[in-house]
This record gives sequence, structure tokens and C-alpha cells, in this order.
Amino acid sequence: MTVVVATLVVVVLLLSVLVAGLLRSHAAILRQLHELGAGVHQDPGVPAGATQQPRTDGTVPAPQDLPEGRRAVDVVGVGPRGEALAVRTMGVDHDTLLVFLSTGCTTCSRFWSDLGAPEVPAGTRVVVVTRDPTEESPSAVLDSAPVAATVVMSSQAWEGLRVPGSPFVVHVHGPTGRVLGEGTAASWEQVLELFLRAGGDAALGSREVGPDVRRERELDRVLLDAGIAPGDPSLYAHDDEGRSPPASRTDDPAEAPTRGEGSP
Amino acid sequence: MELSGYGLTADLPPGWEGAITLDRGEEASALAEVGGVVRPVAHLASFPLPAERGDFGSGAVELMRTEDVFVALLEYGREEADTPLFSRQGIPRRLDPRLFSGRSLQRAIRGQAGLQAFFTEAGRAFCLYVVLGDDDDAHLLARRVGQVLATVRIEVTT
Repeated sequence: MTVVVATLVVVVLLLSVLVAGLLRSHAAILRQLHELGAGVHQDPGVPAGATQQPRTDGTVPAPQDLPEGRRAVDVVGVGPRGEALAVRTMGVDHDTLLVFLSTGCTTCSRFWSDLGAPEVPAGTRVVVVTRDPTEESPSAVLDSAPVAATVVMSSQAWEGLRVPGSPFVVHVHGPTGRVLGEGTAASWEQVLELFLRAGGDAALGSREVGPDVRRERELDRVLLDAGIAPGDPSLYAHDDEGRSPPASRTDDPAEAPTRGEGSP
Repeated sequence: MELSGYGLTADLPPGWEGAITLDRGEEASALAEVGGVVRPVAHLASFPLPAERGDFGSGAVELMRTEDVFVALLEYGREEADTPLFSRQGIPRRLDPRLFSGRSLQRAIRGQAGLQAFFTEAGRAFCLYVVLGDDDDAHLLARRVGQVLATVRIEVTT
């Protein structure tokens, strides 16, 4: 009798361990699915089955329930000229700033003009992402986008990263493929400021860089802490009459890269 | 990550990205204006492709590091298919590293090496143009190119 009871106790204990293990792996699977975007929360007001569209009118709600350091997505879509594009953001040496814009929102208009030659930390690439051509006019994107900007029309990327509206910026850490930071801002200058303050610079600093780059980043940090942003007049020398040189100069169009080399 | 357009498809291995555009050269633009058919150009690269680049990669190859590779697949007119220059059948998937040379580069950059091959597949005439970031590492880099070429599919189009 004692042997039977002891055996039963051992069996029950083993089964308990097995059930606990199953529950744990189930929780891990659910967590992974959640990170991949399954079971995205929907507003109670939105009827079941209806797709919740991101806002493209410049009013962007704060992102909710997004796990920190979640996986990013590679961006696959089309360009405004109809070209097929596949942009790698994960498993690469460089970081990527994905800038989600639309042509309809007034806040985005400043971004479009600022993205001609955006100032970004070394080792960072800027990619503009709009909704698909079925939701965004390619010709309007072509009109708004600076010639040198990489623009991908991909609703898939918006949904993959659960972008709540435009303008919205997602900073992807290339080597790990994780989202380092995300949010909205009124201008590119603000994005850069937030990016430098929020640790994007620190992340870049973790790589092997020369002393000059480290010194430059440290100076950037000190200046931003003092409220001196890029383009601030106090950064430029004044002549005897108190005039300061222009903050930026126009690039010589003759130096622009050529587009075609002809046939072999 | 799959890149697909204009009857060309590539399953890009990790670290690769790509674009398939229509020929944007002056000749092609002039042809398009008179109703001619403009042929696609595919660019596959192991580094970030800039938005502005030439068909043979000018604007992009200057950004390559020594460990990078660049692949361009340029389609020519249908009438060129199976002509002597394009007599080879099928895209070359394995490239002999000894065939790469600095002299084959469209844009000569010290240390880089290039290769051009012409072929016909699915009734379409193509030029395959490859640039290696480091001539001294041609064996390893040519294998890397082979990995991406193994995934390229060319379909019959009208």
C-alpha cells in the first residue's frame, strides 16, 4: 500500500512539473506572437473586422503597449516611380531611422523639406516610409520627396511596426534588429535632438570609433544640454558689424552624382 | 526578404538589399517619350543603396567597403536575345573569381574588381555586372555573389 501511494505521489509530482513547463513555454510563445504584432489592440469603437488605419493628419497618439526593444522589420515596398524596393534594416552594421510620413499632413511638410540632406549621426541611414500607392499618391510623394532621399511606399512596414500615424520616427539598431527608440516630433531638428538625448548616440558610441568622433559627440551632447541646437546663431562667428555667415550653403549642383553611365 | 518586379525575383540573403527600377538613363528616357519599351535594371547589394545611382552602380560603388559586393542585372531589347553576344543560356550562378578584374569596372576604383557576363534567359537578353569591394578577396566575395545569384528567378514577360 505504501509503495502504491509513494508511486502515485511521484507520478503526480512529475505531471505537475510537466504542466508547469508547458504553461511556461505557452507563455513564451504568446509573448513572441505579441512582439510580432499578433493580437494588435483595437479601439472599442472600431467594429470587429474593420481595419484600424493610422492617422495621417499630423495628430499622432502615443504608442501603447509596445514592448521595449521589440524586433523591427525590413522594409519591402515600391518607390514613387514604381520601382520594387527591399531595404534591409535588421542584421546590418548601420542603424536606420525610419521616418513615416504622408503627403497630406501639415506637420510632415517640414520633414519632407528637411530630409534633402538630413543631419544624422555617423553610421545611421534615413529611410522615408509612406503608405502604399493605393492609399498615398505616388506623384504627390514624388513632388514632396527630395531627390536624394530613399522613399519606400510600404503599408506593410507601418503595420509591422504598429505606427500610429505620421509623422513618426522609429530608430532601428542594425546589428540586433531591435527598435532603440520611437516617437513623433514637429521637425527633423527635434528628432535629432531627441535621438541624441535618448541614447541613440550612446548606442553608436558602443562601437569602435575614433577619438575625433567621440569628442564631436561629447560636444554635441554638451551643446544640446545647454539648449544650443544645430543651426543656432551662437555657433557662428560674427564679423565687426555683428553679421553672421549663413547657417547652411547650397551645394554645387555640378557635384551631384550622375544617374546613368550608358551601355557597355 | 523577397524582391520582385518586372518579371525578376530575388530572395535576398541576410545583409542584402535591392531595387528593381526601369532604366533611367538619357537614352531610355528618350525612348520612353516616343512610346518605346523601357527595360528594367535590378541592383542587389550587401550595403545600403543610395537613392541616386546609375545603371552600372555609379553613386553606389563609391560607398562600398572592402567586404561589400554589388550586382546589377540589366535587361536589353528582346531582339538581342540569343544573338552572339547574348548566346549564353541562363544566368551564371557561379562566378570564377579569376575572371574579375579592375579593367572590367565601369567606374574604376582602386582595389575593386568587376566582371560582366551577357546571357539570355526566358527569351530575355541580360547583362550581369558584378563589383567586388576587394580584388584581393575575390574568392570569398565571388562566393557571396553566388549566394544571391542562386536565388534570382527570371520569368517570361510580354
